[in-house]
Amino acid sequence: MAFGPLSISLAPYVQSSKTLLKWVQPLANWYANASRYRQYGFKYDDLLVEENPTVQRALSRLTPRETYDRAYRLKRASHASVLHAPLAKDQWTKPEEDVRYLVPHVSNVVAEDAERAKWDNVIVKKH
Amino acid sequence: MFAARVSAARNVQRVARSFATAVESSGVKVAAVDNNGPTSSLTVLVKAGSRYESQAGIANALKNYAFKSTAKRTALGTVRESELYGGVLTSTLGREHLALTAEFLRGDEAFFLDVLSSFVTSAKFTRHEFQEYVAPLIEGDAAAAASNPAILAIELAHLIAFRQGLGSSLYASSHPHFGYKDVQEYASSVFTKDNIAVIGTNVDQAKVAELVNKAFASASSAAGPATSASTYFGGENRIESSSGLQTAFIGFGTTGAPSAEVATLAAYLSPSPSVKWSKGTSALAAAIPEGASVQSVYLPYSDASLVGLLVQAPTAAGVKQAGQAAVQALKKAASGVSQEELTSAVAKAKFAAASAVDARAGLVATIGSKIFSGSDLSVASTLSTFDAVNASAFSKAASSLVSSKPTYVAVGEVGSLPYADELGL
Repeated sequence: MAFGPLSISLAPYVQSSKTLLKWVQPLANWYANASRYRQYGFKYDDLLVEENPTVQRALSRLTPRETYDRAYRLKRASHASVLHAPLAKDQWTKPEEDVRYLVPHVSNVVAEDAERAKWDNVIVKKH
Repeated sequence: MFAARVSAARNVQRVARSFATAVESSGVKVAAVDNNGPTSSLTVLVKAGSRYESQAGIANALKNYAFKSTAKRTALGTVRESELYGGVLTSTLGREHLALTAEFLRGDEAFFLDVLSSFVTSAKFTRHEFQEYVAPLIEGDAAAAASNPAILAIELAHLIAFRQGLGSSLYASSHPHFGYKDVQEYASSVFTKDNIAVIGTNVDQAKVAELVNKAFASASSAAGPATSASTYFGGENRIESSSGLQTAFIGFGTTGAPSAEVATLAAYLSPSPSVKWSKGTSALAAAIPEGASVQSVYLPYSDASLVGLLVQAPTAAGVKQAGQAAVQALKKAASGVSQEELTSAVAKAKFAAASAVDARAGLVATIGSKIFSGSDLSVASTLSTFDAVNASAFSKAASSLVSSKPTYVAVGEVGSLPYADELGL
């Protein structure tokens, strides 16, 4: 899945190394703030490409509360976009609120699809 | 030579065809019988029927959660792997027991016991599986029950006969008010070692006991949910239903262990003929109007039983006529039956009990009620109780049943279906 919702990422490697994390994290935080999605009240997972069956299935697994909040963030951000201005500062997403609420579901769906493919192509050996 | 070989084979079969006795394997009861058949089955029987449920319908949800993701396999993996072995997995819910059954070819018991035990010991109960797979099944069960007036009548009869405990429905409402967490809590309260029994057919008992010992080692040894002894109440109720035949259930309940006399009464009342496409010979069979049907219902539980007649007809008038005949037959049974009728009823009941043991579902139902109480599992002990049925014991049991408050349920057009007093109850 090079270009899918779970594209190639160095994050797990960086997170596994304490030294590397110490150097990269300030840069990553700066980049996340500089990309300004937090100023429009988004969480990072709101930006995940959702126009594919995998993410659609993952979206259906959110709790009703998560689905509602996601729709609210999208509407609020669309409105801010129409006004050509970021939200008021108290409505910006705080870094600790920017959690990956969707990606775990996406990885579950990807794992299920992979398992289905495995069973569809399994070669049975009787011994 | 051929004849000699045949008779030798028959002797071997007779020796192997003894009935299961229960042994304990790390706290789990195990009973297995090898009839030398080509396919085997394993049933994990759990005291998790609707009787023990903490919220209405949660036992049905647990039944439908069976064979979903566990720590060992995903739901898809369970299905695909079982298919490769050529096995069939079923989960059935009764008022007292939840039965998880695997049927498979001889020799695959290790794999299928692993499938069954991993649901008991390490089911994941995920939220998305509840939404995507389990909730539609609960709704489907509820819809199927709601469209069948016979099921509605029996469910309602249990409710008014026993109120709590055995009165709980086997079905959930179509929009249940519980979530996956509640099912998980219920499962952890019922999946305890002394609540579980493993019943095998065509498998070696020693081998199953050894496998069970390993598979259920991690099961909880806490006490299962408490339940109070059943009490019989009885009463009358009627519900509107627009689908199916007009239905009435006329029944009586008893408490205490199921007795051979009550089973004989059910066999005596049954108007079903012994030859297909013919009319039964009993007085009741002759009195049933054309198009109407009367079925004898006998539902034994560990500490109570419900016996009665289910009357169905296309019109309410037909139900009334057949119902009056049914009540007459009940009253006649209570006032005493001839020795000839009793002999044939005992034989009929005995055959029903014996042939039930031949089929897997019947075997599990028969053994299931006994294995937890630790009583003798052999079919001979079941059948020998019928030998003790005599005319005075029969009429005493029948008259004490009929003198108790009847359970009467009408399902269909409530405006025109008869009331209990109109049938002579």
